[in-house]
Amino acid sequence: MRLEKLPPEMAKRLGELECPNFETTPWVEGKPLSERRVAIVSSAGLTVRGDRVFRGRDADYRAIPSTTGANDLLCSHISINFDRTGFQEDWNVVFPLDRLNELAAEGTIGSVAATHYSFMGATDPVQMVDGAKEVAGKLKADNVDAVLLTSV
Amino acid sequence: MSALGHYLEEEGIATVAIALIRPQAENTRPPRALWVPFELGRPIGPPSDAAFQKRVILTALRMLTASGGPVLIDDFPDDDPREAADPDWRPPIGPAAASRDQGALAEAIEAELRVLAPPYAASCSKRVRSTVGLSTLAPAACGEYLAAWLRGERPASPVADMSPALALRFVIDDLKAFALEAAIAGKPSSKQLGDWLWNDTALGVGLQVLRRDCLAGDDERLKAVAAFFVPALRVPAG
Repeated sequence: MRLEKLPPEMAKRLGELECPNFETTPWVEGKPLSERRVAIVSSAGLTVRGDRVFRGRDADYRAIPSTTGANDLLCSHISINFDRTGFQEDWNVVFPLDRLNELAAEGTIGSVAATHYSFMGATDPVQMVDGAKEVAGKLKADNVDAVLLTSV
Repeated sequence: MSALGHYLEEEGIATVAIALIRPQAENTRPPRALWVPFELGRPIGPPSDAAFQKRVILTALRMLTASGGPVLIDDFPDDDPREAADPDWRPPIGPAAASRDQGALAEAIEAELRVLAPPYAASCSKRVRSTVGLSTLAPAACGEYLAAWLRGERPASPVADMSPALALRFVIDDLKAFALEAAIAGKPSSKQLGDWLWNDTALGVGLQVLRRDCLAGDDERLKAVAAFFVPALRVPAG
């Protein structure tokens, strides 16, 4: 987002939003892209139709199987101050599963994870630690070694 | 989002974040982040443009094999071509009559939803999807519930495990999605769609009125959800 396109007050608020202060800088290296198994982890408050929607600043997460169809993915993010029409037209704008499947089919990436995950991005990140660790365990069990994080 | 990068990478999984707000990525210092200049809500860029989207994703994923970290923050160079207005786009219905009488507004919204049903169905058929469904109610039932609130009633929640206020929030989310999806044809920008919804529909006018009334009332739960009826950029000044 080019913040200069927003009203100054909103740009200032977004730019100065309090962020966690991490003391460590983790860094994991790995195989070539063509051998990586890639998952999407989104903070867009995505839920599979029929699953529990995010009702507020929930700290937990939702699982999104790779078999989910585009008609079955909803966005229950609490904020209404971001565009939803892009996602409404094409889910890849927020959840690029079709693109990852294409990249896997052409051999650019190794494979696509069996399950992807979504958090509610408006939640205090500190409260997401337990959920993130749980998701990490599930990703490792699925042999995922690369995560594309998408926010809104 | 960048914080999740820290948490997952601490657990041994390589991550790259697509960041929409560069200062937040700079402050959180994730292992890797690709800043994109797209509007909020569009981390992968333009809808229905697979080639552009793939370029964004590949630029991000290639950072996974780059050296020089930790903390790599790169910038994606190109803007979203879909931010430009589509001169050929036309709204599915003409401007609504500007009534401020709440009973008339309620009636106008229900009528409007009936008129929008065919373009919504056509749009769903073309996109093979809908994002309506947070409340679990059909659009017409959502319209009835919203209309009751506009008429000054305090209806019971139509959703088993939701309070009336929470149901109202999700009903409104569904109605906005219903109307906007009815208008998605061609290549409209988000601004074109938003201008139409908030300036030219009975639904947009009704949501402004309901927001104002709820915020002026003394029901704290309604006040809490009313903040989520109208985007900040669409709230009238003053």
